Amino acid sequence: MSKQNKRIVITGIGPISSIGIGKDAFWNGILKQKPNIKLEKCLVDGELWGEFYTHKIDNFDISKFGIDKDKLNDIKEWKEGEEIVDLNYLIAAVKLALDDSKLKFDSESNDIGLVLAHENLGLMPFGFKISDIAYEMLIGKQKKDLSKKEFFDKFYCKFLKSGYDIQTFADLFHVTRVFNIHNYSLFINNACASGLYALESASQIIKNNQAKAVVVAASDYPDIYKYLWFKQIGIYSPDGKIRPFCKDSNGLVFGDGGVGIVLEDLEYAQRRKASIYAEYLGGGFDLEGWKITVPQIGNTSYQRAILKALDAAEVDKEDVELLCPHGVGSQPIDYYEAKAITDTFGNNSKKPLITTFKPYIGHNLGSSALLETAILLLSLKNNIVPPTLNYDSPDSKFNLSLVKKQLKSELKTVMKICCAFAGFNAASIFRKI
Amino acid sequence: MAKTIPDNLEQELKQVIANVIGREPEELKPETDFWKDLGVDSIKAIEITVAIERHFKIAVRDEEIPKITNFGQAMKVVKEALDKKNK
Repeated sequence: MSKQNKRIVITGIGPISSIGIGKDAFWNGILKQKPNIKLEKCLVDGELWGEFYTHKIDNFDISKFGIDKDKLNDIKEWKEGEEIVDLNYLIAAVKLALDDSKLKFDSESNDIGLVLAHENLGLMPFGFKISDIAYEMLIGKQKKDLSKKEFFDKFYCKFLKSGYDIQTFADLFHVTRVFNIHNYSLFINNACASGLYALESASQIIKNNQAKAVVVAASDYPDIYKYLWFKQIGIYSPDGKIRPFCKDSNGLVFGDGGVGIVLEDLEYAQRRKASIYAEYLGGGFDLEGWKITVPQIGNTSYQRAILKALDAAEVDKEDVELLCPHGVGSQPIDYYEAKAITDTFGNNSKKPLITTFKPYIGHNLGSSALLETAILLLSLKNNIVPPTLNYDSPDSKFNLSLVKKQLKSELKTVMKICCAFAGFNAASIFRKI
Repeated sequence: MAKTIPDNLEQELKQVIANVIGREPEELKPETDFWKDLGVDSIKAIEITVAIERHFKIAVRDEEIPKITNFGQAMKVVKEALDKKNK
């Protein structure tokens, strides 16, 4: 079959989130509509440094996922004894997705591909390490007559390896090694839109005959550094409630988690009688490239991404039945997003059903688009549209009407869209087979 | 050759901002609070930034946008950006 004619389907989903780990628990959590929001406290030497609300995963234990312990220990040793939570989320998400896909592969070597996505894996331990070392060297036990050169020599030598290790290729190496993946692999970072870029990349890997199946996995573990920055730029909800497209929306709330999704060549999936969630019809991508933290109100980049997706998927806009926007609950971002949706689909009567999932699981940052895609795929499979939680004061300036109560609806074509930091605008379309 | 800061910067800036928020330039006193007195919100603040950047051909840093809360602050941000550009 030619590259262009290859059809790509999804056969495995492995979500990890504050409302459930594993496909079934995750979906049940969505249906129960009970977010697990906790007040996270960060202590330094017993003193409170900061606190913030977050959708918290309780009782995550990487040893419970049936993953090779020696390889997990290898990672721990490489990380000098530190447990990197979001790396573990990535590994667990890949395992859950592979298990769900029931893909059979050689335990020593296989031809599955891997695409990972994360914004800044390893940043927090690196930051803490630098802070601790600097503190000890400047104020602690060191001699006061330390020359600047001596200080620089000693200071930098303390974290040479850690600094090098925050590069993403090392973690791509660790995850591929856990699963004996030796085929094409990729680690990407397009901020919150990483997951949708990763899906497209995985699709291209299959279309280009580099692999029959590719796991896309993403995770994020929001921490105090990110919180302090988000608070500083004024987009973190002080009361821990994400209210997308509302009059009283006051920002986002982080959420722990990750997800793995398996993409396969349709023919390959059918031959092995795989259960298919949906076909990935295509994606559209546009980079606004104005500012890192704010979208340019009035710019049509986001609409272009949506239109490119419709074009790539060969889908008429009228055929999109359910749309899941980024929905962060920040006024300018919501406004930017609402305008792109209205400009594309028209006024309310012409729009698809619209619902958002961040109020369930928080903002999972680099993994958010992929984790929300998992909910969208389960909605598609189950013909259920989860409502947008906290949608109590819709703001007419957005000209949107979101789903307020759970709906049963025969769904065929759904779309996930995301407008990320730095202007990475993305849209992906899925169809039930 | 480096461009200088326009002599009529204040008037030009007032006109640019007034056009975005639908007010008269005379309403923009140095101490006028854009948000409290003129109904500017986080969305309009971005529109003002876009208009300022286009008119003066400057780049305003992300973290400067929330600081543009009155005309005095807007002048400061624009002057600094022009100075940086003209160096």
